[in-house]
Amino acid sequence: MKEIIKITIALTISCLVAGLVIGTTFLFTAKAKQQNEHLNVQQTMLGLLGYGKDKPAPPALKLHSIHRYILQDAEATRMGYIVPVRRDNGEGFTLVVLDLKGRFLEQHPLELTAETALSGEDRKKALAAVVAPSMVVSFADTAIIACREGKREAYLLPGEFPGFKTFIKAMVAVNADFGMLGLEVIEHEEDPGLGGEITQDYFKNQFVGKSFETLKGLKVVKEPLPPEYERYLESLGTADGELSEQEIAEMERLYREKDIYALTGATISSAAVTNGVKAMVRKFAYRIQILDQAVATGDIPILF
Amino acid sequence: MPATTKTNFQLVVNGLLNENPIFRLALSMCPAVGISTTVANGLLLGVAVLFVQVFSSCTISLIKDYIHPRIRIPTYTLTIATWVTVIDLVLAAYLPVAYKAMGIFVRLIVAFAIITMRLEVFACRNTVTASFWDGIGMGLGFMFGMVTLGAVREVLGMGTFLGYDVIGFRPLLFFVLPAAGFFLVGFMMAVFNYVETVYHRRAKRGA
Repeated sequence: MKEIIKITIALTISCLVAGLVIGTTFLFTAKAKQQNEHLNVQQTMLGLLGYGKDKPAPPALKLHSIHRYILQDAEATRMGYIVPVRRDNGEGFTLVVLDLKGRFLEQHPLELTAETALSGEDRKKALAAVVAPSMVVSFADTAIIACREGKREAYLLPGEFPGFKTFIKAMVAVNADFGMLGLEVIEHEEDPGLGGEITQDYFKNQFVGKSFETLKGLKVVKEPLPPEYERYLESLGTADGELSEQEIAEMERLYREKDIYALTGATISSAAVTNGVKAMVRKFAYRIQILDQAVATGDIPILF
Repeated sequence: MPATTKTNFQLVVNGLLNENPIFRLALSMCPAVGISTTVANGLLLGVAVLFVQVFSSCTISLIKDYIHPRIRIPTYTLTIATWVTVIDLVLAAYLPVAYKAMGIFVRLIVAFAIITMRLEVFACRNTVTASFWDGIGMGLGFMFGMVTLGAVREVLGMGTFLGYDVIGFRPLLFFVLPAAGFFLVGFMMAVFNYVETVYHRRAKRGA
């Protein structure tokens, strides 16, 4: 009996000390970590829009996030969008509620600032304050709208879709007409050297420049990638002028409407990415159209 | 095993060669096979293991007189987990690029056999200084193993070294896949054993 008490006390003390050490480290590193993650996402987004080290983003470029939530209670399921709006005293956020048919139901101003809107927990708190207590609120996804001088320039869609092994996290950039601007694979666990090649320029840049119409019918072909096309894909985004303008125009003319060339030995991964991107863009195009209608009906002063 | 009589330098060399964690003790084979696909991966994980090993060894040898013998292993696990979490947090905060590549693997260090084994065999019987040097030796030995495997696998499998193209084509994609890791570890063990045999033979002849 005496021994078990000794053991219990020893283990409790060890756990407390361990907790203390971890907690202290967390206190010191939490802020830097969050900032890094935020910066990382920001960089990926700007990179997709074609801005980078040698081409900084213009200050007029604004990125607005809209967050989609599913609101559920016993009677009905609804869609809720958190959108940035113009207020008398600056900028704020509003929850727009739609029914499943996409009709505008109601809007609630939210207690959110630009900083708190970044955190999922703060958003949830703000939502809980305005929706009925019986509603179950669940987060669906986020889309980012890049605007310049009040005009929509591009949409950035973070999302995930099933790959060969597990989910692939990616971000897709489309222009205002839903034509592809770029694809960035953020996280994946495909086989290195095979499916893992989806992160390579010569694969992901194949999506660049596909129009919405082409994208809708996009398939994967099991053919070797033509070498001159590979050279063109590798040169995209590097801006080192390796290819002449004439060559670039020729490549675009030849391959713009072609399907995606599958990676050697990784047809399933290639098809998964193609279908995933296709689905993401199609769903978003449909949703943003409905949201725009609802915003017009509700006469909401949105920022984008 | 009684307290060690080796000098600090001998302890480090011991970890690197005589008792190399991967090639001699055959411990922590999962990371050796799974993660050593490139030199950079091997190096980063090696550095993380080095830190965890040194910190854990020092902690355990500091508190060795207060550990109840019945709860040795839980205490070791707790110590390792604490240091791994600390390193995970620090990496995520101050080395985001490395963390992006290594994130999930760093957390796996908790389960690495080599660290628990060193605590049980060495740190709980020796002074803090000796444990520190033993930790350094073991960590460097592990890093050495990972980098060697990583170099061979990266050059043969992907034709690159540290991400730079050195061959220009991919000689054998097979080497990047996990199965090749096993083959390579086997080959390296054979090399180590051979070198040891030769060394002993020479030593005998010399004597």
